Amino acid sequence: MGNRLTSMSIGAFLAAAVAAPVLAQEILILAEDVPAGLNYDGPTAAIPASQQGMVTLMEPLVGYAAGAVNDTGVTLSDFATFEGRLAESWSFDEATLTWTFTLRQGVVGCDGATFNADDVVYTFARAKSVSGAAPIGWFLSNVGSIAGFGVEVFGDDPAAKELGDAVVRIDDYTVQIRQSEPNQLFLPVLTIFGLLIFDKETMEANATAEDPWSHDYVNNTNAPGFGAYCLDTWTKTEEISYVANPDYFAGAPDIDRVTVRRVPQSSNRVVVLQTGQAQLVTGLTPREFDALRSQDGVSVGGVVGNENLFLHMNFATPPFDNPLIRQAIAHAIPFDQIIANGYFGQATQWMGLVPSSYPGFRASAQFSYDPEMARSLLAEAGYPGGAGLEAFADAFRLSYVAEKESTLGPIANIINTALLDVGIPASLDPLPQTQFGDRQLVKRDLPFAVNDQEKPIGVDAGYAVQLFFVSPENGGINNMVNYRSAAVDAAWAAARVMADPVARTEAVGAIQDMLAADVAWLPIVEYKTQWAYSSAITGLRWYPDNSIRYADLTMAE
Amino acid sequence: MSTSDLPAIAPARPDWLFRFGVAIVAVVTVLALIGPHIGPYSPTLTTPRVAVPPPGLTQIPGLLWGQITGTLPYPPHWFGTDVSGYDVFSRVIAAPRTDLVIALLANGLSLALGVLLGLLAGYFRNAGTELLMRVSDVMQSFPVFISAMVLVALAGRSTANIIIALAFVYTPIYIRLTRAEVMAQTARGFVEAARALGQPELQIALRHVLPNSLTPALIQSSVTIGFAILLTAGLSFVGAGVRPPTPEWGLMISTGANQIILGEWWPSVFPGIAISLTVFGFAVLGNALERRYAGG
Amino acid sequence: MLSRYIIRRLLIGVVQLLGLTVAVFFLIRILPADPVSRLVGMNASAEAYGQAQRQLGLDRPVMTQLAAYLGLAPGQEAGLLQGSLGTSWVTGSTVAAEIAAYLPVTLELITLGFLFAFAVAVPVGMLSALRPGGRADKGVFVYSLFAGSQPEFWWGLLFVYVFFYQLGWAPPPLGRLSPMTTPPDAVTGFMLIDTLLAGRLDKFAEAAHHLVLPVAVLTFVLSGPIIKMVRQNMARALGSDFVLYANAAGLPRAIVARYALRAAMAPSMTLIGILYGFMLSGAVLVESVFSLGGIGQYAVRSVLAFDYPAIQGVVLVITAISLAVYLLLDILHALIDPRIAY
Repeated sequence: MGNRLTSMSIGAFLAAAVAAPVLAQEILILAEDVPAGLNYDGPTAAIPASQQGMVTLMEPLVGYAAGAVNDTGVTLSDFATFEGRLAESWSFDEATLTWTFTLRQGVVGCDGATFNADDVVYTFARAKSVSGAAPIGWFLSNVGSIAGFGVEVFGDDPAAKELGDAVVRIDDYTVQIRQSEPNQLFLPVLTIFGLLIFDKETMEANATAEDPWSHDYVNNTNAPGFGAYCLDTWTKTEEISYVANPDYFAGAPDIDRVTVRRVPQSSNRVVVLQTGQAQLVTGLTPREFDALRSQDGVSVGGVVGNENLFLHMNFATPPFDNPLIRQAIAHAIPFDQIIANGYFGQATQWMGLVPSSYPGFRASAQFSYDPEMARSLLAEAGYPGGAGLEAFADAFRLSYVAEKESTLGPIANIINTALLDVGIPASLDPLPQTQFGDRQLVKRDLPFAVNDQEKPIGVDAGYAVQLFFVSPENGGINNMVNYRSAAVDAAWAAARVMADPVARTEAVGAIQDMLAADVAWLPIVEYKTQWAYSSAITGLRWYPDNSIRYADLTMAE
Repeated sequence: MSTSDLPAIAPARPDWLFRFGVAIVAVVTVLALIGPHIGPYSPTLTTPRVAVPPPGLTQIPGLLWGQITGTLPYPPHWFGTDVSGYDVFSRVIAAPRTDLVIALLANGLSLALGVLLGLLAGYFRNAGTELLMRVSDVMQSFPVFISAMVLVALAGRSTANIIIALAFVYTPIYIRLTRAEVMAQTARGFVEAARALGQPELQIALRHVLPNSLTPALIQSSVTIGFAILLTAGLSFVGAGVRPPTPEWGLMISTGANQIILGEWWPSVFPGIAISLTVFGFAVLGNALERRYAGG
Repeated sequence: MLSRYIIRRLLIGVVQLLGLTVAVFFLIRILPADPVSRLVGMNASAEAYGQAQRQLGLDRPVMTQLAAYLGLAPGQEAGLLQGSLGTSWVTGSTVAAEIAAYLPVTLELITLGFLFAFAVAVPVGMLSALRPGGRADKGVFVYSLFAGSQPEFWWGLLFVYVFFYQLGWAPPPLGRLSPMTTPPDAVTGFMLIDTLLAGRLDKFAEAAHHLVLPVAVLTFVLSGPIIKMVRQNMARALGSDFVLYANAAGLPRAIVARYALRAAMAPSMTLIGILYGFMLSGAVLVESVFSLGGIGQYAVRSVLAFDYPAIQGVVLVITAISLAVYLLLDILHALIDPRIAY
């Protein structure tokens, strides 16, 4: 009897000893850049590589539920369903426009701090202080109509920068946030990287008298939060590495260690992936993804998310103020050739002016490639065969971001040739990113451009309308084409505060019809956001900020 | 030991080399005049055939025959096509116009400026010209690519800006050359004679010294033109050169560079061979002129 | 006499740098693009724009900005006089730190390129000058003209295609080390030295392996003008009076050649200096083909991003180095040939 028990226990012990140790899983990711800063209110907030760092280290209050898995194995997000991340549940009181959040308990950050309501209040107070180089936190709060986050915070009155009672701690795990008007964008903005929750204790421990909100710390050292990973090493412009946070609220991530290395040229990233030394690469050209698709041991996953390409024609620059010219150009674009030669088939024609995956999308713009119609429209406009358009040669200089020559170059060249074919005196003008951004958004004098970088961060058709198509005087802060329509402005002013979601969707749909009729933008394609990775990796999920969450990944042995 | 045992200063330059240089310069000049018009395709319009490799050696006779008899569906892409669908051959032979025009104008501008300033600096040697030389020193140490890029950032990518940027680089060289020659010429007798006759200084400088001092600068021109082509190509490579789709060798190498690592060599290799031979041709020509007129 | 010459040149150099700094300061402020636009990409309202302007210090009058940059207002912020080059607007790190990281990469590359080019060029140039008119001399002459006219970025690409893609001898052109290797702690910034200091011979070998192709390209291109110049100067020296006397006195050929070489090196100094200064920023082409991340690429990035402090810092540093190199070589030249110092 004793011997049997002993041998059984020895056997069990041996079995446990053999089964127990799991090798630490590590992956190496190659990207165009590594975070240049981790501060969403800092100078690098608009850079996708930096945003990737932020979402890895910090967690939002609320997120979207996982959706279906598409045919390439990538999980989509279900934009109709919100799920709690750092918040467990919430309720909304219509009468007082107050949201009450019940926060998750037992969440521990990388520096040992416990998550509670103080962290939430701190985050919003920091956003309202607008003390960083770029006021992204304020901006999103403003878009969501959180009370007190108006433009008065930029004035000289320091009291306007105080948080006040818009965000209030009820107890350790209950927070109330009040809106100033009914606005359906509240929950969507909470999911965005610009309102990720900071770890108050660690932030304050690293504050200084000159920098009470720790901007310097977050720009250069770390972003303390409650995310799935903790920062291990960070060398700007070289490499960043993370280790899994064992106390992550959704369970410790499968991959224990993630290293992201900067390899600026996409072809170099391809080479290393092919040798198996790296497990995931991003930011390749469509051509490179196409070449990798057929390779053994490598998977290419892609999803039509919110990345799109459109033609930008500035209403303030003649002859783009002539609707016939806009219509003519709309029919001179060889959509299929662009999809085939520019994107290797990994794109679909964009039939609207907001991303088709967003709630509220309406397929309002259905242009077709018809050079004959383009020519007849030009003739109708008074320029038969393009005669007389040479006077506008400067306006027809098609710009694009010079740094994206390898992806946009072929497309710009195809469009250039197609326009010359119908008689429009087009030429090319690649501009460096900073100059492009300056002329596009600050000076708003860019006449003609191919643009593939507008991805509305708020997952809502109405958000895109507000951002891009409302006239600049009425809040269209990224209205780069100087589109002004009193009808659209009025319709949006009403739709923005509609409490009934169904009515709102209908109203926003009607706005999209108006935009298409005016050819406010000329939508060309929606192209797939793609990643190439080792076949051993699964679980990849797409998020509207186009950064992946490493916590989603699993790697087979 | 007799003087004939002494090593000659100038090595015997092979005659075939000189003729080779002249031939290259002649071909490039002819292409600059007619190149954009004689190619099978327009150098600035894309074709639907993207990233097509050049025909294999065995296919060429068949293609030639098809071209002569007119039985081909479309003209062959002798050098293949690049990633946007441009025919590489048509662009390679159209590029000399762009490159040569820029190089000639840049050289002309810096020659005119440099010789004039060098004349002043060498003839009137005073504090003002000292300052000029110090400024010229700084201009020469100024990082070339940065100055070109700043100019381009200032005023956009255009041919005029490249010419100005190149002139910025080459003017100090001409100043220095001319100044040295002027100083040597001024020491000669005819200047004293002119002064004794009571001619005004400026007239002496312009009428007598200048024509005698032009030789080194003119000889340097051939080499400078060649290097201007290299510099233009380099500028296009970093994104500060001509605007696409202007055919220019450096720009073609730059857009083709990403393809090399994937094995597509033709968009970069052919324009590279063209530049390599062209600049070599100009260097040889310059060297020959140097031998002939400056005694090496 | 010599010390007065050195002091005079140093003073002039300082004045030149100061003038250059002020000139560049104003020049880049005429740039059309607004660096502020980078920060307002997501939210281009007037308030955000004003906020960003304040953050970058661009709302102050230009002369105040210049004074602050030069270090004339030490209470407000550190400037040149205090040794600060400002902070990059793109990354937020200090420009001095970034330059200290990027500059050694370029210096390592071009110094190795010059060393090898010299090691090849001097014997070849010497030998061909000793046997003028021979077949080897003609061959060397043609080679020197050819090599000096080559587009080095294209040769870099060719080398990558042949030696990496086809033959697999060279590593992929991904940088100074393979992306899988953690770099050693940066003590000097020179990868070869740092790997040795860290005692990692394997990383040293890897760094050297990665340097083979870029250095080969530079050696090839630099050898052209250097051979040409050595040959020319050697030939001139060999034809001079003192060599005639040495030969007449019956000295062996090797010793005469050595004397001639020393005389030939002096005028070569200036050309070396000019070439070195040019390559400091000219190396950007080779650097970008091989993804080496040197000062040239940093300069290009700064100009494209309208990062004023970085542009000012890079121009200042590169020009200062060039001027220093010229001064050094002129001093060497003056030591060899005292007539220069007059």
